[in-house]
Amino acid sequence: MIEDDIYRTSSQFRLWSYTESSLKNLRTTTNNIASERVRAALRRARERHLSATPSATGTPQPGSDAEEKHIECLTPEEELVLVRYYCEKTVELGDTYRPPLPTNVRATAIQYLRRFYLTNSPMTYHPKSIMACALFVATKTDNYYMSLRSFAEGIPGDTTPDDVIAPEFLLMQGLRFTFDVRHPFRGLEGGVMELSAIAQGQGKPAPHLPQHTPESLKEGILNLAPPPVPVSSITDRIGRAHGATRELLKSAAQMTDAYFLYTPSQIWLAAFLIADRPLAEFYLDTKLGGPIDPTAMETDTSTLHNPLSELRTKLLKVLGDCAALLQSYTPLSSDPDQMKSLKRIAKKLYHCQNPEKVNLKRDTTAPRLMPAGDAGTVTSESETERLAKKRKLEMESKQRGGHDVFGPELVPDRTRH
Amino acid sequence: MASQDSRGEDEVCPVCKSSRYLNPNMRFLINPECYHKMCESCVDRIFSSGPASCPVAGCRKTLRKNRFRQQTFEDIGVEREVDIRRRVMHILNRREEEFDSKRAYDDFLEQREEIIANLVYRTDVAKTEAQLQAYAQENMQSIKTNQALEEQEATSFHKKILMEQEEARMRQQIAREEYENERREQQATREDFLTRLASGSAADVAAIARDGHKVHLKKSSARRSEEERIRQKQAALRGTEGKRTGTPLAMGETAGATSGAGLIKGLRKIKTPEPEKPYDPFMGLVPGKRDYYTQLESYPYAFLDKLRSDTTVQAGGYDLQEYYSRTLLEAFAGLGCFVQEEVAQREATSALGISNPAATEGAAMAAVGKNAA
Amino acid sequence: MALSPFASRSPSLTVASPNSALRLKASAVPRSTGQAVAAKAQSNPERELTEQLNDDVRRKYTKGHFRDDPSSCVAIKKIKVNAEYKDGLTMDAIREVKYLQELSHRNVIALHDVFSSKDQNLNLVLEFLPGGDLEMLIKDGDIHYGVGDVKAWMGMLARGVWFCHENFVLHRDIKPNNLLIAADGEVKLADFGLARSFADPYLNMTHQVITRWYRPPELLFGAKQYSGAVDVWSMGMVFAELLLRVPLLAGMSDLDQISKICEAFGTPTEENWPGVTQLANYVTDKAVPLQGRDFFLRQFPTAGPVGADLLMSMCVLDPRKRATALQVLQHKWWTAEPRPTKNEDLPRKSGTKKMGDDLARRGGDNDDGPFKNAARQLDFGGMK
Repeated sequence: MIEDDIYRTSSQFRLWSYTESSLKNLRTTTNNIASERVRAALRRARERHLSATPSATGTPQPGSDAEEKHIECLTPEEELVLVRYYCEKTVELGDTYRPPLPTNVRATAIQYLRRFYLTNSPMTYHPKSIMACALFVATKTDNYYMSLRSFAEGIPGDTTPDDVIAPEFLLMQGLRFTFDVRHPFRGLEGGVMELSAIAQGQGKPAPHLPQHTPESLKEGILNLAPPPVPVSSITDRIGRAHGATRELLKSAAQMTDAYFLYTPSQIWLAAFLIADRPLAEFYLDTKLGGPIDPTAMETDTSTLHNPLSELRTKLLKVLGDCAALLQSYTPLSSDPDQMKSLKRIAKKLYHCQNPEKVNLKRDTTAPRLMPAGDAGTVTSESETERLAKKRKLEMESKQRGGHDVFGPELVPDRTRH
Repeated sequence: MASQDSRGEDEVCPVCKSSRYLNPNMRFLINPECYHKMCESCVDRIFSSGPASCPVAGCRKTLRKNRFRQQTFEDIGVEREVDIRRRVMHILNRREEEFDSKRAYDDFLEQREEIIANLVYRTDVAKTEAQLQAYAQENMQSIKTNQALEEQEATSFHKKILMEQEEARMRQQIAREEYENERREQQATREDFLTRLASGSAADVAAIARDGHKVHLKKSSARRSEEERIRQKQAALRGTEGKRTGTPLAMGETAGATSGAGLIKGLRKIKTPEPEKPYDPFMGLVPGKRDYYTQLESYPYAFLDKLRSDTTVQAGGYDLQEYYSRTLLEAFAGLGCFVQEEVAQREATSALGISNPAATEGAAMAAVGKNAA
Repeated sequence: MALSPFASRSPSLTVASPNSALRLKASAVPRSTGQAVAAKAQSNPERELTEQLNDDVRRKYTKGHFRDDPSSCVAIKKIKVNAEYKDGLTMDAIREVKYLQELSHRNVIALHDVFSSKDQNLNLVLEFLPGGDLEMLIKDGDIHYGVGDVKAWMGMLARGVWFCHENFVLHRDIKPNNLLIAADGEVKLADFGLARSFADPYLNMTHQVITRWYRPPELLFGAKQYSGAVDVWSMGMVFAELLLRVPLLAGMSDLDQISKICEAFGTPTEENWPGVTQLANYVTDKAVPLQGRDFFLRQFPTAGPVGADLLMSMCVLDPRKRATALQVLQHKWWTAEPRPTKNEDLPRKSGTKKMGDDLARRGGDNDDGPFKNAARQLDFGGMK
């Protein structure tokens, strides 16, 4: 099909489509490498601390009290939960702007985050710092440009423009410099437009099914099995299905691996199947022909190798898988169990965050002054101390601020000393 | 002596036995069918009323009067060989430029000599003749083309010779005239010089002599440049002439489309340039071809109604057709792309290659970080 | 070996630290300041930088080749992170990378790869196009070309634009010096720094795009919602310029540009362009009647009557009545006589002479200012 070949040229298909197993392997590899680095970095930090003046008290020293203690790192699954949480936060962050950021900008930012964390670990780069940057880059790449200053002002809390922009280059590297994300939203609009035309008797048959007429199509859509929710008219029915699908695309499609495993048209049609199965099936049949009648098959051998019906069989299975994936999603914030495990993960991350990667800003402010590979300056004693203070300040401000956009603090306040 | 014997034989017609001695105007003719010699009057007598068999005892070849001709070579064997050679070369008239390599051309020449030798010495005549006929049939077109080319070359060669002769003649004439002019002028100057000397004073003598010399020099240099100009012009003309004869050659080559398969090896594959296809502005892409849907002129969609009635948007040229085509394409682009299948395949093929899964590089890079120093 | 934290992250390339880096033959180029970071590719497809092509304030071009095939050439466009621009990577870099990553067509410059070097500079590995650009050919008085050549060039341009529009991308900066020429004579659409995808309904786009002489009236009038017709107008201007060998409408300012358009084609009015008076910046100074077909026949005799018709369809004031890129390609001019010249027979810039020019220009006398020449700097035919 020519439309499929067009999609195959996209960077989303070429670089960002995976099989379930390759996706899993990739995440495991990323996690393994990052874990090793975290352990090595923490060990180095400890050694430096010991060799420095022993009077530097008050600095949180992860693991310093039990040197031999094994540092526990996040598992790939835990990383994924964490990333998903920040994807949900991205949607909320988009809402704080006036006017709220467009859906596709937010969706692009979410996909940037998901793509970035395929090859980077939250232990190395905390999603909180990447998230704002991803959203800002999305405003640039999705033609919703606003200045960095006004963008930073829109973020609740005291995020500075420098905080937002610091990881930009890092993020872009993680995205392999592909900025285009193919979303299912516009495809949904196309489908709804065509269904509306069919309902009004203006539908044109698909190129490979010339036997349809506008009348037969209209008759078909009017005689469908009833939708899950009773409707007043076919227009109403299409409208409802449209709305329900769109909600699914804005949430479940973004928060799961759907973009990596399926194509945008499969995603929207799978969501459409969830929203109104008879309507979605009818629509597919207008494109690929209906199910083959077993009695007709005996008489007409040509249908046996009908490529359209073969495609239909294969597609229905894939759409079913995709729909199941979408339905498996429940928002973290609405599920106390998930929230509980999220808090545990966040606490764990606090201990296994790579200390050498916490401050991204200095990398942009003085990239040329710092000789490449000069690791010493980054995690010098004073630097670690400064970071600790900053972290403490942040935490205190979070406790004060009651309605933080990032939700309640995930890590319970640690008692120091 | 053999030669004298044969000469003596030559003087007598083997058919009517009349001899040149009695009839000094007698002419002998031969027919390339059997090369039996007979006198003109015998030919007239026997073959005037249509084809008949050769009157020489033991020879039953049917001969026609129009094929009789005068002998060119004294030795009838040479005569025959030349005829055979001419005929074979007329058919096997491939040209050097038609071959892949010099070697292939040489092989062809050798093969041709072999065929000629076969026919001359009557070895495998039937087979060789059959080969030759088959070849002639198959390659009629190319044979004709090459014949025409040869003819053309012959005539243009001839023309060129004539032209060169003409030029040489002209040059001679001009040279002669020039010489004549020069001589006349010299004479005139000398006379003038003498008169001036005779009338002028002694002091002028040197000046007058110098003057006369100068005029002479100027004239001859002017003449030289004029000659040069003419020569260049002629050279240029010859150049274009050469090019013009060059083109039919190239065309002939392409026209000889049928391959000389079978008999001759190593012929250059001649690709007939396919008749040039009409220019396709899309270069093979088919505009607007779709497999899943047929786009409408307009879609009933309330969301767009306000836009449709907004004159400013309309005046700016915003085109809803573009939006329709985009939404519909995106609705179906990739519907039949099965990522699980196609990506698995892609990974399988790339695994054989060199590169690591590129993506894991990032993790490695991020992790390597600064600690390597 | 030390690796900087921001060393490359790209699908196929890694870039080594400066310690192991290859020093280029940069010293051979007078103006290079030694900032050029020599990149030595380590993985496949690998490329080595062989020569520094040229540099300007922000962007540098370097010539390189794939290591597994030294005869292949690529141009490496280096985008420096601009210190004055506080908002991160500039929009034009983002646009260029975003759209070139998606578009793959014979008449659109190919982006082979993007990689980053340690100082956070972006390096675009682009197709090497040594044949200069159309502007050079237009301006070079020593080059003579005919309508068959113009047809061939316009055909390639129109295919490139049509392909972009088929992929819902507006180029928004079509002009002769953005039309680069490959070694085989093919014209390629380059510089996607102003490109964007078609806007969805009700969303605005900026009208401050397209170099003024090639900017259509609707953008000059401040339209915020427009279509592929803007690129078609630019194409029409390029077409006219190829025929005349001077820019058809060289306005000194935006207002002057409007009056030049009015003088040439007629004044936009509600009659010939319904709704035009409601566009934000609509102005007119004098009323010139709309030009008919005979104007184009008279003005562009070399194009022939069919060619003049095509040009006229691309220069319609009202964007809705202007031809689309598809309609341009469907026009009968392409199949009319004479046939478009084959690529191998197209006139090319004279190599040795241009090489001299380039060397002279590198001496410092950039004639058009640093940015205007960005496209031209890919031109290195003479330096084989």
